This record gives sequence, structure tokens and C-alpha cells, in this order.
Amino acid sequence: MRYSSLHLEVPMVKLARRRGAVITAAVALLVIAVVASLAIGARPLSPGEVLTALFHPDDSPAATVVLDQRLPRTIVAILVGAGLAVAGVVMQALTRNPLADPRIFGVASGASLGVVVAISVFGLASLSQYVWFGITGALIAGLIGFLIAQTAARGREGNSPVTLALVGAALDASLSAVIYGVLTTNAQSFDQYRFWVVGSVAGRKMDVAMQVLPFILIGLILAVVIARGLDALLLGEDLATGLGHRTGLVRFAGAAVVALLTGAAVAAAGPIGFIGLAIPHLVRPLVGNDHRWVLVTSMVAGPILLLAADIAGRRITDGELPAGIATALVGAPLLIWLVRRARTVTA
Amino acid sequence: MSSMKLVGRSTIRLGPVSIVVRHRPAIVAAALSAVLVAVVLLALCVGGTYVTAADVLATLSGAETGYERLINVLRLPRTLLAVAAGAAFGLAGALIQSVARNPLASPDVIGVTQGAGLAATVALTAGLGFGVLAPLSLAGGLLAAVVVIWVGSKHGLAAQRFVLAGIAVAVIVKSFTQIIMLAAPAIDAQRAQIWLVGTFAGRGWDETAMIGATLLLALPFLLWASKATDTTALDDDTARGLGVRVTARRVVLAIIGVVLASVATANVGAIEFVALVAPQLARRLTRTERPPLWSAALAGAILTVLADWLGRTAFGSYQLPAGVLTAAIGGPYLIFLLVTRRKAS
Repeated sequence: MRYSSLHLEVPMVKLARRRGAVITAAVALLVIAVVASLAIGARPLSPGEVLTALFHPDDSPAATVVLDQRLPRTIVAILVGAGLAVAGVVMQALTRNPLADPRIFGVASGASLGVVVAISVFGLASLSQYVWFGITGALIAGLIGFLIAQTAARGREGNSPVTLALVGAALDASLSAVIYGVLTTNAQSFDQYRFWVVGSVAGRKMDVAMQVLPFILIGLILAVVIARGLDALLLGEDLATGLGHRTGLVRFAGAAVVALLTGAAVAAAGPIGFIGLAIPHLVRPLVGNDHRWVLVTSMVAGPILLLAADIAGRRITDGELPAGIATALVGAPLLIWLVRRARTVTA
Repeated sequence: MSSMKLVGRSTIRLGPVSIVVRHRPAIVAAALSAVLVAVVLLALCVGGTYVTAADVLATLSGAETGYERLINVLRLPRTLLAVAAGAAFGLAGALIQSVARNPLASPDVIGVTQGAGLAATVALTAGLGFGVLAPLSLAGGLLAAVVVIWVGSKHGLAAQRFVLAGIAVAVIVKSFTQIIMLAAPAIDAQRAQIWLVGTFAGRGWDETAMIGATLLLALPFLLWASKATDTTALDDDTARGLGVRVTARRVVLAIIGVVLASVATANVGAIEFVALVAPQLARRLTRTERPPLWSAALAGAILTVLADWLGRTAFGSYQLPAGVLTAAIGGPYLIFLLVTRRKAS
């Protein structure tokens, strides 16, 4: 797919004004989502009670539930949502493939395998120990997928979305088989695994948030640093080099961003799907194709989507439907629509 | 037909029936049959206890050897089931790849297997029992196929878009399967998970009979329609000029493929990649344009028996389901196909 000059017809002044409006609205939505996330649950609270608990904490039950349970979970959702959304933006830019998503391309399976190995083989129990396994797994899976897709694409019709998606599917199936094999050797891990694998932020404590925070922050900052380079990559290798961009460096940094963000997000919340796929497609029509804007807006929009999914899960069932399922329900129709859309495939 | 190369073919006539036999595919099919017999024997001999081939054959022919339980009750049923299921998957893959004219369009890549798996997971976790498992899986596989065709058919059924639609549907169906696994009690979920990965442990005659019956039922349709796999090597106009009802035959072949994949999945679980790999192996061996049906079925059976045997013998005290091995080997093979596909189509 070409990132056609879809929005260049919009006059720059109008676009600039719209970007301002979009980012303002997104931040406002995020604030609402955060307050809702702190207020809604088995014990509903009013926004006033939430604010009191946040800014004048005491020993009241309201303050306890907000500070000990809902606040950590909300912060984890913000970090994971931002991380996955930005990982999706960077993957789609690097591969020039509108279907790129950490889950579809097998990167999340790599991170999952890392975490499963850490738990089952090395007996590590705390996140600070296995976050590195998650990142390493994501990095290795991402690198393998990238190299294979590059080799497969060479000499054919360029970078075919189908080839990349198939490589991802093959990688995902192989890694899932290995994960299952590892789990077989450790039967009691399976029950934990089936809840973890759908992705959820339920029950995450503050230490989880603190441990993934540095990785997500570095990933997000690095993504913004290479934003112009990502713009240039979409022009094609030759043109980008001609404009003075070091494309190899941008690709390397981009791969690091994807590994850091996916690895940390998966370690914290499991392989939540479709956020990396959906957010870039929702954001680009609003703010144009300039990556600085796409990235910053995605950082706000990703958390909104994940928080909304998490809150919906809390409200719809008493049994706490995991957020990963809610995002799948939103993402599935989007994926079908993307495939059916004419421009996606040049078949 | 005069322009077609007739070297390497013989025609066998039996009264009104005539069958054209191409030499190389026939030799490959014969060789694969021999390999299959050898692999089955290996699976019967080698395991936790080693039994000599002579003892295995004696046991099978009814002699009292002391291995009756081990061979006739434990090893033979699951091995025969692996043969039947592998043949069904291999055949299904060859049919769908021929019809879609794409070596990557196999039922496990395009979501048919996953659709059958989702329906079966529902049946297993809802405690509906094994009676409804097969019809429900069949419905699930067919439904997934319909969805894939609908998603992929917006601008004509281009092969690329079809595969992409299949991947999308497969991802979605897997998500829904996970949702159901989560809602289920732990014991049902674990049972469903083992089943989903695909295993032959503790199964045998009933499942083999079901798959075997489906294969037998498919046979007359296959014989009628298999001309279409030959003629898909030609372009549609040429085939029509030769008087072949191309579309009708294609539809029949596709339906047989989906039915075979779904019935096999219903009985042994979603064993991945056999349907993709077996036809490709067969095609490479026969050097034909389209996957040859007999050899694909034989190759599928060989791969599946090997996967089951490795799963129960190669990892010490751990028994891995056959599906783990086919996925762990099939995934890299698919990647290899993608990397080396430059010449194809």
C-alpha cells in the first residue's frame, strides 16, 4: 500500500487548526477515561470522591480502593495502551504495511514466549525479572520476521502485505507451538497462562507500572526522535537517502522502539491485540500523515482505547471481562474492513 | 490434446473406463506408500517399550505374544487415526490449493481449521458431548470458509486477497476461541486446549471410522471432479474449450476440501500445517504444476504419523501433542516457502 497523499488536499492552515482541536479533544477524553477508570467498579464512586481520594488521601475505603487497586491498573493501562499504539505506528511505517500490528506479526508471540520461558524454565515470578525476557523475545521475533520478509520481498513485487502477514502467521504458529510445548512440561502454569494470554490489566499493582515505565518512556521518546525519519521512509529508500536521511539508522531505531514497547507491554498486560492495528488507522485521517502528529496523538488515543476496553469489561460482566477481549471485539471488524478495502492489496 | 506432451504417460483401459497414468507421479505415489508402511511400522515398534517388527506383525495377525494390549489397544488405533487424519488434511490442502491456484491457500492458513476448532471448543466447554462435535465443527469450518470468501471477494477472487482475508479471519477466530477458553472452568479449558492443539492420544477406532467414511464418501466426487485439478494448469478458456465444466468442478473440489479439513479437525483437533506442507512436498516430488491428490494424501499421512511418534517418544517423559510438532516444523517450512517462492506464479 502507498500512503497516498490522502490529506494533502486539506489546506495546511485548516489541517493545523484541526490537529490542535484533535489533540485537545483527545487529552480531554483521556482525562475523562482516567476518572471513569478510577470511579467505576464493584464499588462505584463519584468523581468528587475520586478526586478527594487522589489529592487528599485518608484511610477511608474509597481512598484505599482508588489508590491501591484502580490507580495502578489505570496507570498500567495508560502505559500499555500508549506503548502498543506507538509500536503499531512504527511497525506500519517501517514495513509500509497497513496490517502491521505486534500481535498479527508475531512480535507479541515472541514476547509471550520470553515471558513463558522466564516463568516455566527459570522459575522467575516477578515482573522486574521477566520484563527483559519479554523484550528479548519481542526483539528476536521481530528481527526474524523482518529479515524473512525482506528476503521474501526482494526481487518480487516489493514489500507485499500478504508476504509479511504470512510470515507473521507462520512465526506466530511456530512460537505458539513452542509456548505450548514449554507449558506442557509445567502443567500448573497453563491455568495462569490462559488468563494471561488474552491480555488484561486487572489486578496489576504499582510495582508493575513502575517496572515497565522506563522501557515504555524510552520507547516513546525514541519514536518521537525518529518521526521525521519515518516520514522519509515512506517516500522510498532512494528518495529518503537523497534527502539526507540515514535510513539504516532509522530502521534500527524503529526496530528497537517496537521491541521495547511490545516487550514491556506484553510483560505487563499480556499480548493485547488490535490496539497497534487500530489506533494508527483511526488517528491518520484526523491529523494527517506527519509522524510527529500521528505518534503524539496515538500516545493519547491508545490509552483511551485500552481504558475504554477495560472499563467496558468491568461493566459488562461481573466476572471482569479482560480488556484484551474487548479490544479484539473492536479490532475484528476493523481488520475485515481493511482487507476488503480496495487499496490494501495490489493483487 | 494433440499439443500436450504425452511422453511419460500410459493409458489403462478397462472396458468403458480409461485412466491416464503419468509415470512420475505414479512412481512417487508408490514410493510414498512404501514409506508410509515403514513409518507406521516404526510407530508400532518404537515407544516406551521396544517391540521387534516380527513381534508386531505376529501380534497384528492374532498370535499370542504378550504385546496385545500395547500394540492392538494403545499404539495401533492412534497410529491408524494419524494415517486417516493426515491423509484427510493432505488431501484437503491439495484441493484448496488447486482451486485457489495458490500454494499458500491451505485450510489452516485461511481459517477453515480455526473455524472448525472454534465450534468444537464451544461444544467441549459447553459440555455438549462428542456426539455434536463433528457436525458442529463441520458447520464452523464451512462458515469460516464462507466468511473468508466474502471478505476476500470484493474485487474478484484474487489469490492474494483471498489469502489475506484468510489470515484476518484466522486471527479473529483465534481471539474468539480464547474468549471461550477463558469463560470455561479450568478442567474443560485444559481439555479443550489439548484438543485444539491436536492429539491422537487416547483416541482411535471411532474417530478413524468417521474420517475414513468421509474419505470414502468423497472418492466418487473426487474422481468426477479431479479433471479440474489437471485443467487448472491450463487457463480457464482452454479448459472450457476442452469441454470441462470448470466452475462446477472447482466448487465441488473446494467443498470436499473444506469438509475433509473440518471433519478431520473435529476428530483430532486443529493439527496445523499438515494441509499446507503435504501438498507442497508432493508437488515437489512429482514436479507437477498442481499438487497431486494421491501423493498429497500419502505425504500428509506420513508427516502426521511421524509427528505423533516424535511427540510421544522424543521428549523423555513428556508427551507432546502431534499438533505442537507439526506447527513447530510447519511454521519454518512455510517461511522457507515464502522466501524461495520467487519463481512461482
